[in-house]
Amino acid sequence: MFFKALDLTTALRPLLLPDETLLFVQDAVGLYEGVCYVATEDPRKYSVAIDLKEIDRVEYQASFLKSSPKITIHPKPQKNKADKSRSATASPALFQQSALHLAQSLSTLPQSNIPQSSSSPKPVNATWICPICSFSNPLPSNFDPTTASAATHLPPCLACGIKPPFTTVLKAAISAATSRDSPVPPVASPATSHSFPQPGSVALPGPGVSVPCPRCTFVNHPSLTECEICGAPLTSAGSSANANRVDSPAPIFEQSHIANTEVSESIKLSFRAGGEKTFHERLKGALVQRKWLLQNAPPVPPPSQATSSPGLPSGVTAVESPLPSTPRSSGVGIAGLERRGLEARKKNEMVIGNAFEDLGALMASAKQIVALAESLARESGMTSSEGSAEASAVLSESAAALGMVTTKDMLSSGSESLYLSELARDLAEYLTDDRKGILQREGGIMSLIDLWAVFNRSRNGVELASPSDFQKAAELWEKLKLPVRLRRFKSGLLVVQRYDWSDEKTIEKILDWMEELRRIPPEDFVPWDWSLFGRAVTAQEAAHRFKWSVGVASEELEMAEDRGILCREEGIEGLRFWRNYLSVPVSDNLSRLII
Amino acid sequence: MTLPFPFPREHNWPPFFTPQPNTTTRQDQLRKWSDLIQSWCRHHRQYRLSLIEAVESPLFFNATLRKRLDIREARAVVDWMTKSEEEGGGGRRAEWIPDAGGGLSSGVMGSAQGQGPRAVAWIWWKRPEEWADLLVEWVEGTGQRGSVLTVYELIQGEGTASQEFHGMDTDVMLRSLNVLVKRGKAQIFGGEGQEGVKFF
Repeated sequence: MFFKALDLTTALRPLLLPDETLLFVQDAVGLYEGVCYVATEDPRKYSVAIDLKEIDRVEYQASFLKSSPKITIHPKPQKNKADKSRSATASPALFQQSALHLAQSLSTLPQSNIPQSSSSPKPVNATWICPICSFSNPLPSNFDPTTASAATHLPPCLACGIKPPFTTVLKAAISAATSRDSPVPPVASPATSHSFPQPGSVALPGPGVSVPCPRCTFVNHPSLTECEICGAPLTSAGSSANANRVDSPAPIFEQSHIANTEVSESIKLSFRAGGEKTFHERLKGALVQRKWLLQNAPPVPPPSQATSSPGLPSGVTAVESPLPSTPRSSGVGIAGLERRGLEARKKNEMVIGNAFEDLGALMASAKQIVALAESLARESGMTSSEGSAEASAVLSESAAALGMVTTKDMLSSGSESLYLSELARDLAEYLTDDRKGILQREGGIMSLIDLWAVFNRSRNGVELASPSDFQKAAELWEKLKLPVRLRRFKSGLLVVQRYDWSDEKTIEKILDWMEELRRIPPEDFVPWDWSLFGRAVTAQEAAHRFKWSVGVASEELEMAEDRGILCREEGIEGLRFWRNYLSVPVSDNLSRLII
Repeated sequence: MTLPFPFPREHNWPPFFTPQPNTTTRQDQLRKWSDLIQSWCRHHRQYRLSLIEAVESPLFFNATLRKRLDIREARAVVDWMTKSEEEGGGGRRAEWIPDAGGGLSSGVMGSAQGQGPRAVAWIWWKRPEEWADLLVEWVEGTGQRGSVLTVYELIQGEGTASQEFHGMDTDVMLRSLNVLVKRGKAQIFGGEGQEGVKFF
């Protein structure tokens, strides 16, 4: 399943899993190899996603004469069905074709599936488990499963000092070797029945030419068919892909539905409107960083935890366990445990130190940084604004939710229209988000100015949208078929409302209100016949009743007046609106006498 | 004159006194005002309306609501009434009386002189043509065709006491008679104030 059907948000953007981030957005991309095309008419049907995890390598092809620059993406050879289904659920990175969103995940969801040993790409990290005391011992470095026999000298268990049976060590060595070398046929070892996923080894980008021996792990030249050392038959990258495809169902190319397409060898993305270089860089960067590996690894403990409470066992073991590679020559009993704790702590410090060494590593620890930034933003939002605490809380929360928002630097330079359409999508998402309910709170309608202010405040002063960009983006809503609309009132006031909002609905609500006023006696004495005419309403009253802003309320009342539903009264109290009994005869169900 | 004028319900309704911006609503509003003014004048046997006086009268001033149709608005209403329906007006139910029109017989309306243009207007709750039809009907009904009557007789005579044009404004009567003259059904002779009329 190289391509996946995408869940789209209300703004017709890919629905990101928790902690997935948007890396890069590029428009005008063609997709080759297969029947894929993207129709703007029905974007929900024709959107596809690619797990970054499944990408083997990418190749860049510059533009040549009339052909647009292309990027070829080679999918990883499929392993078996168990792997496929799991990677579908993990889906750490997304790749949407309609707007081509490349997303990156920091999710920790599928952690439980991943065996710890495979997440560390160290060359020899196999362990064998002592059948007596069940202590995990490292394999001796000179142990070769192909040459070893029962006569080979085996070191005793580090904990209990008893020599292990030869078969235990051999099994451990083979399983370690197979888990490291991914393109091994499933039958090669019982270890693969555990369906080890590929992260440790597969995502190595670049020319995947060298073929490691499935038995002895010797890295052979790709043209060899047998291992130089042990003579075991080799499966090169290409042939293994072919062999595996026999297992997987044949490619299905349904004309109208590309979600099911099994991509045979590679897909090509054609960049018709440029931007391919940046895209390639980001894609490559994402592949090199392999952040989805992080989701398998436990989170790096915060520095405070490591320093202030050094004896805390949970923080220590969490980091220690996936990295059991360092040979523990000695250390038995309590002394050994203490030493291991010390090592783990050192490792923790190193990890924290590394995190700040370069930007790439910083990105890897982005989770903590983001959490810190959010909490800071929340605090500052609470203290700085003297206004209602509720409002600032909402603002800072929405800022957190807007963390995945598209910013200008995510987009290739010069494509203003793409920025605008992305901004439009951002806005639509922001508005229709049920958690914040921006539109609901404003009675389903709010002025563009208010929205602009709230939106920019929620961005906490970075990547602010300019008023003109904002308006242009809002004007794109209709074109992009987003569930919000920009509307211009007679006076020129621009408001934002849901697409299904109509004047008729508003008028219906106003009329109901007017009828209500005819039934309820007014509080003060009125000289007119209130049961006939009801009572006048002001824009303030309408705003209060329908939870609109006053500006919107007066515009809506004037709209109703414009349609002959209401009429006005100008007096010393200001402008008030009545049901239009000038045009509509007074419905007089009580057959009253004319005065 | 003894009965109080039955105001329409809208007259006791505040928005009636505010000019409506919506064109359709405005047309309905003007029509309602036009009807009101006509029935008011008819009730009070009033043929000409001085706006300056009228804005203080219950017609344009609702004391209960403390709402008033000010002189500018009243003028707009009468303006609308003077236009024909083809012009989007009220079917020529009013006509501005040019400044200082002489020969005012009504003492009440005497003060209307010298109020400038568009201060006093005829209110045609019946247009001169309609009055002319009424006159012809009455003349034929009473068998007075060919006889000579003075205008005073027509207005104040005992024979017309039951008729609607009894006690009519002299100017309006003369205009109605002139309509008949144009139709060739009457002839006016005699000097000013002493007019006689002969019906054919």
